[in-house]
Amino acid sequence: MTQGVLLFAFNNEQIDYLAMAAWSARNIRRHLNLPTCVVTNVVDMPVTYQFDQVVTVDLPPTEQTRYFKDYKGVGAWHNKNRSDAYELSPWDHTLVLDVDFVVASNQLKQLFDIDQDFLAHRWAYDVSGHLAFQDNNWFGTYKMPMSWATVMCFRRSKNAQLIFDTMQMIRDNWLHYRQLYQVSEHTFRNDYALSIAMNIVDGHTLNTPSIPWQLASVTPETKLTQIDPDTYKIQYESTDSKTKWMLLKQDFHAMGKRALGEIVANSC
Amino acid sequence: MDTNELISHSRARFDHHQARIVLREKYQAKMTFAHAGGMWRAGPELLILLQACPTEDAVILDLYDTPVRINIVDLQYLTHSRWQEQMNAWLVEYEELHKNR
Repeated sequence: MTQGVLLFAFNNEQIDYLAMAAWSARNIRRHLNLPTCVVTNVVDMPVTYQFDQVVTVDLPPTEQTRYFKDYKGVGAWHNKNRSDAYELSPWDHTLVLDVDFVVASNQLKQLFDIDQDFLAHRWAYDVSGHLAFQDNNWFGTYKMPMSWATVMCFRRSKNAQLIFDTMQMIRDNWLHYRQLYQVSEHTFRNDYALSIAMNIVDGHTLNTPSIPWQLASVTPETKLTQIDPDTYKIQYESTDSKTKWMLLKQDFHAMGKRALGEIVANSC
Repeated sequence: MDTNELISHSRARFDHHQARIVLREKYQAKMTFAHAGGMWRAGPELLILLQACPTEDAVILDLYDTPVRINIVDLQYLTHSRWQEQMNAWLVEYEELHKNR
């Protein structure tokens, strides 16, 4: 059974997602020893970017913008073709990663040993300990449990195909689903589509299998710097309003694109 | 140089409490492993369950509540190895925490 990691990278005015993907691909090769494939609209790619495969697609049609806290500004957000991962993946068993997910260990290798068709994180936590972040594990007025699309692992199967097909249906009819689940946010998010899709495919049981550990998250308010290739320092204001810091030597989701962008730029 | 940033940096203190919580999360994740088509979490609970099985073969539930037929001795060996290997790594990192100001 072939295995690999799929990344999506569509740059906007502020963020060079493709550079992040290339940086991530190096970490993936080093820790997971897996091939990478990037889905992008960039045709002329720098020669230093080493992906095993490149799938060139048109920029996903979107009028969607998003406020990026760390940039203190609004930018285009091309996130609407993540649900094409099933068709676009060249492998039988695929790990789909957000390019802002930092691979700093071989932990994700475990996912390929799990006998499930589709897996994503059910729980995320803020490494700086802010409890308000826990609210992100649900969405909408009715507190629908969130499944995070940051890390998705699927194998070619009817079940996985149904989940991605359902995500596409939700994306194409987002206004309807937004009203149904009473989501106040206008912006379409893959996390929402995935959560709703997994629950529909599982017969609305709210009992979908998930990755058996939590998604470590570093929020945009946290200052992130790299100490060595797999050690990161975070500095933040703690719940008692004091400036604190600690080191991270593990995989994590860097939600602040600016800090990660600077790390990527400095590593080139 | 941004003086405010410099002051903020010098006043920052290592967050021992939160670092311990994050370390625990990290090693909880590392305790998971696959065997015989099932997914397991190494630790005292699983070891005690395995010790309670009187025969060499048994069917027990994995992390996904899937019944899996396992060889007790094999799973016990893997569980114990994984548990102690990761506990040792956890101890090393835990002791490093104390060196941080």
